[in-house]
Amino acid sequence: MRKNSMNRLLVGLMAVILIAFPGTSLAQDTIKIGFFAPITGPAAVDGTSAKNAVEIGLKEVNDAGGIKGKKVELIIYDDRLKAEEAVAIANKLIEKDRVVGVVSGSYSGPTRVTAPIFQKAGMPMVAGYAVHPDVTWDPKAKKPNDFIFRNGFLGEVEGAAAAEYAVKNLKAKKMSLIFMDNDFGRAISAGFASHAEKLGASILAKQMYKFPGEKDFRPFLTRIKEGSPDLIFAAGYYNEAAAIVRQAKELGIKGTLMGEEGFDSPKFLEIAGPAAEGVIIATNLDRDDPRPLVQNFLKSYRQAYGHDADMVGASSYDAFKILVAAIEKAGTDPQAIQKALLDTKDYNGLTGKITRFVQGEVIKPVQIQVVKEGKFRRLGVVDNPEVITPPMKK
Amino acid sequence: MLWQQLANGIAVGSVYALISLGLTMVYGILRILHVAHAGIYTLGAYVGLLAFRLMGDFWLSLLVGMAGSAVAGYLVERLLYMPLLHLPRIAPLIVSIGLFTAMEEGFRIVAGPHTLTYNAAIGLETISWGAFRLTETQVLILLVTFGILIFLWAFLTRTRMGLAMRACAMDAETTSSCGANVSAIIALNFLLGSAMAGAAGVLIGVYDNQVWPTMGSIPAYKALAIVVLGGLGNIPGTVLASFIVGLAETFFIGILAIPFPRDAVAFIAMILVLMFKPYGLLGKA
Repeated sequence: MRKNSMNRLLVGLMAVILIAFPGTSLAQDTIKIGFFAPITGPAAVDGTSAKNAVEIGLKEVNDAGGIKGKKVELIIYDDRLKAEEAVAIANKLIEKDRVVGVVSGSYSGPTRVTAPIFQKAGMPMVAGYAVHPDVTWDPKAKKPNDFIFRNGFLGEVEGAAAAEYAVKNLKAKKMSLIFMDNDFGRAISAGFASHAEKLGASILAKQMYKFPGEKDFRPFLTRIKEGSPDLIFAAGYYNEAAAIVRQAKELGIKGTLMGEEGFDSPKFLEIAGPAAEGVIIATNLDRDDPRPLVQNFLKSYRQAYGHDADMVGASSYDAFKILVAAIEKAGTDPQAIQKALLDTKDYNGLTGKITRFVQGEVIKPVQIQVVKEGKFRRLGVVDNPEVITPPMKK
Repeated sequence: MLWQQLANGIAVGSVYALISLGLTMVYGILRILHVAHAGIYTLGAYVGLLAFRLMGDFWLSLLVGMAGSAVAGYLVERLLYMPLLHLPRIAPLIVSIGLFTAMEEGFRIVAGPHTLTYNAAIGLETISWGAFRLTETQVLILLVTFGILIFLWAFLTRTRMGLAMRACAMDAETTSSCGANVSAIIALNFLLGSAMAGAAGVLIGVYDNQVWPTMGSIPAYKALAIVVLGGLGNIPGTVLASFIVGLAETFFIGILAIPFPRDAVAFIAMILVLMFKPYGLLGKA
């Protein structure tokens, strides 16, 4: 009993100290990096994956002694996939937490609204996998948000790379497209269609489905089946992706099914089940990349969380590490960090070697993976510079 | 392709019928818009899935899912609607909407926000005929739906209880004065309607292999449109309207290739019916 009340007293005292002196001396010798992701809400699977992966990166950095002897502190926020949450988070990170840089582990919606806030504050942000062009671009002023960098591919680039592989390597000639009605779905399928046609393939059908909400793709697929295409390019996130793949197999569709990074999730493999076998995707992560960086990450992720890492996690991990590398080079002044990010050259990332950033967009090879025995495996790489260099925005 | 799309459309229409019937039956007897019915549908899917994961048998899990929904529907009627019947009908409607939202959040808290899979071996065969396929899950949906519809038809037209139920929908007070136990009839009404919604939940669970907390939100308003289309409280009209909407959606997407969201179809049909046939497809003034 005595011990118990003593403990209580101590806890109470600690609480008083913490309340009275918020974040003083303790925080002075750490380097603060902000992070936000949809940890709960409709995209919780992806948000959690991003957070998990970045925490592995954080542990690695701190176990190796931090940055120039200072520990890195990650300030984590949950945006619940809501733009209004993300706005509040951005302001908090700048004003209250006083971070030196930010990592987005979120989708386009929340990331896009924070971009102008960070840009205005002169705060560097590296986005893991948000795809919308306006993350790195100010559409009103028609100039790049030069404090914002993206580690993921633009939809157009990933779509074109998928088409490059479909036509040149898979020798597909007749193709049909099925894609969701949102920015990502439209951009990636437009990139796919225009590059495929440029390479001489014909597009038989383009079918757009409502997102979110569509679950029954049979009417679309029945129509696609009628043209018997060699290859069907499908765009969607893991729920839609898994439903499309299952229903295509049920309807007896024979052509190759090709998807994109939205498929790249353990949830896709779980929901699609055996129907996922042989599905090919264009994505950001190569599980069979022999570099120790990749194999160590995959191993630590599996050990820490009991399941396989996905593209969302790997991309967020990269975004974090890219920012850390810039801080190592330039110190903690945001302007200097931005300069270091702009000067990034031949960076050895988990999701591939980054040549450099152009208007905040990454230049690196696109990975082609195939599902074999219930796992994503390497099938090929698209590194044709004409395809993977993002178009200049103007 | 036409036959394939017909099969796709009838499968979707069947599920709409199972969901909408409960809604129209409740309206017919109590004049309440039972929005939480879509929550009962989702509950059926979750209960069925839980039963499947515990026992491993699909058919048993279908029955358990139906039973779970039936009990939940009965409780909603006894604990929420009955005490509010003396108030204007807006009161139970508000309660119903609130309950539906609470149920969705409840599913999220208990089962998590993620999509769960209902990967059941059903034991039926896919029927292939040239390029046409009636997939295993479509065979399942047709068997279950038509089984239930025949049962419902026989019950309503061939039994005394069914007769009492139809009488009650016409005029509850007169039926009561003829000696029928109206309270029991209303309870049975909820049990039947909710069991059908539970069956629909389980069927969609295996058809899409997905069960998730907000799976009821689209059916919640689509079933409402179907019920209006069929003539509020009109059972054959609701079945007809369900198949019309299911087929129209499928044909708009799959044959005419009109790129507009499928959920609009039910509402366009509802607006047209309200303009030209305000008592529904089979309704009488």
